[in-house]
Amino acid sequence: MDRQDTNTQKNENSEIYDDARKIITDALLEMGTSNNNVVFISMDSSAGACGTSFKKAFPQRHFEFGIAEQNGIGEAAGLAISGKIPVIAAYVPFTTYRPFEQIRDDLCKTRLNSIILGNNSGFSVSALGPTHTILEEVGIFRALPNMTIICPADGTEYRQVLEVASKINNPTYIRISRIKSKRIFGEEHKLVFGKADVVKTGEDITLIATGTMVSKSLEAAYELEGCGIKAEVISMSTIKPIDEEAIITSAVKTGKVVTIEEHSIFNGLGSAVAEVLSKKCPTKMKFIGTPDEYAPVGTYEELIDYYGLTSAKIAQSIMDFYKKQ
Amino acid sequence: MSGITKNEVKELIRKSYECRENILKMMQFGEAHIGGAFSSLDIMTVLYNMILRHDPKNPKWEDRDRFILSAGHKCMALYTTLENQGYFNKEVLWTYNTFNTKVPMHPDEKALPGIEFPTGSLGHGLSVGQGMAHAGKLDKKNYKVFVMLGDGESAEGSVWEAVMSAGHYNLDNLVAIVDKNGLQVNGRTTDIMNSSPLEDKYKAFGWETRTINGHDFNEIYEALKDIPFKTGKPSAIIANTVKSKGLDFAEDKYEFHHWHFKESEIDNAVKNIAQCAREELCKIG
Repeated sequence: MDRQDTNTQKNENSEIYDDARKIITDALLEMGTSNNNVVFISMDSSAGACGTSFKKAFPQRHFEFGIAEQNGIGEAAGLAISGKIPVIAAYVPFTTYRPFEQIRDDLCKTRLNSIILGNNSGFSVSALGPTHTILEEVGIFRALPNMTIICPADGTEYRQVLEVASKINNPTYIRISRIKSKRIFGEEHKLVFGKADVVKTGEDITLIATGTMVSKSLEAAYELEGCGIKAEVISMSTIKPIDEEAIITSAVKTGKVVTIEEHSIFNGLGSAVAEVLSKKCPTKMKFIGTPDEYAPVGTYEELIDYYGLTSAKIAQSIMDFYKKQ
Repeated sequence: MSGITKNEVKELIRKSYECRENILKMMQFGEAHIGGAFSSLDIMTVLYNMILRHDPKNPKWEDRDRFILSAGHKCMALYTTLENQGYFNKEVLWTYNTFNTKVPMHPDEKALPGIEFPTGSLGHGLSVGQGMAHAGKLDKKNYKVFVMLGDGESAEGSVWEAVMSAGHYNLDNLVAIVDKNGLQVNGRTTDIMNSSPLEDKYKAFGWETRTINGHDFNEIYEALKDIPFKTGKPSAIIANTVKSKGLDFAEDKYEFHHWHFKESEIDNAVKNIAQCAREELCKIG
């Protein structure tokens, strides 16, 4: 059954912005308080990666490894196979690429319950250049059997995501933006693993977005409404495993699907949606995301503008696509 | 005075050579990493027979000592040792290299009881063992974690990340055993990438070390029974071993890291092993 937009914070009163890192910091402390098996692993990243409060409250359950990420993931595997729930946190490149083989062999192959936080995702720290602006890791992780990927859409989901991930019994990668996220969902909203949320209904075209791009797509949808296009907006917080039913139901209704992500259009959300549609419900699609290149240096605002990821530019792209159909 | 009797040593020799013979029999199903399996076998024999607190009938016993074979390609030594200990039926060994086997060329923890962690890609085991050691400390358990590495494997940077942090965390329930046979797949370790002096490196990172002859059962036992060598420090045993130990035509030859044998060579190898076992037993008297 579709999860309709009854839980959605409506546009007119949605001007609340949340700091994901603060929410995750509090959530980690809360989870550590309620569950003695939760351990936190940092790689000289505890302060910037949401571990400050946990570290202070539970020093025995915090393991610091310095700038040595392969070792951090291996340690996490040893703890996890011994019944602990490791939460590993650092900037995206250091929890994904550097220790990739340890993630594949030691966490994924073994199906160990563990949580990898990819802090400062997408263009969060784009001033640091392409070594730190990672736009491909969802695609790379999507290829790993047993890996789960969650990109929360707003503060309400960030608040719940650790608890949800801790019960999946597989490694879970959580993509965390440093940019304050616009509140989309009301307090009663439940982040359900593997389930998409229809945040706006519509009949003319389907927009499927993830993470930071859900609020942008929602804004774009309201702009399109002014032009007479009724867009349905789906928030796809769990990218793997993806909610096939939600994709197909909406695609059948609208016949046109656009995906929007702060990530490369190769192997990310758009590809995941295309894999479903090409197999079960061939539908015309447009991918909005970044191209096959390393991003230039700039501010967050400059880069989302450069890559057409502002709500105005998303609306324009969708309009162009819509008119061609 | 030795900590183990002459008869115990003889029994250990018999067991380790029985395992070597079983490894050769497994090879009817294909080629194998025989060099490292044979160099590490005597250490595993002492570990499983005399040192590890473990229960083959209850392989997940939470207080058990853990053993991780970080150099996973030496797993035939582990398979035959576990079989010898009664973890599983011998018939399992005769499925080596067959489709969906429980005894593949690298160990799989989901396939067999007694395999603590899957390994294969080198340089992973010590970090994983360190995590298990930390879990033991958190849970106030007394178990020890033994990780066996190779000297070729010791070129991996990840090994030294773990050596550094285990020293930093004073993990005296963690033991690294380096099966230092001096050879790796393409030649002599001193030529490919010299990892020596291992003792000095481990010491520099805060470990207590001991160097032994990895084929002398007394020395192996004496070192392993003294773990931790020092309270508050992780222990490293540098075991000087001989690649393909027990097969005289293959000993200390890198070509036998992964033996692509001719079928006719196996019978000869079995005879060779039996002869070597007799000689070892004669030496004990």
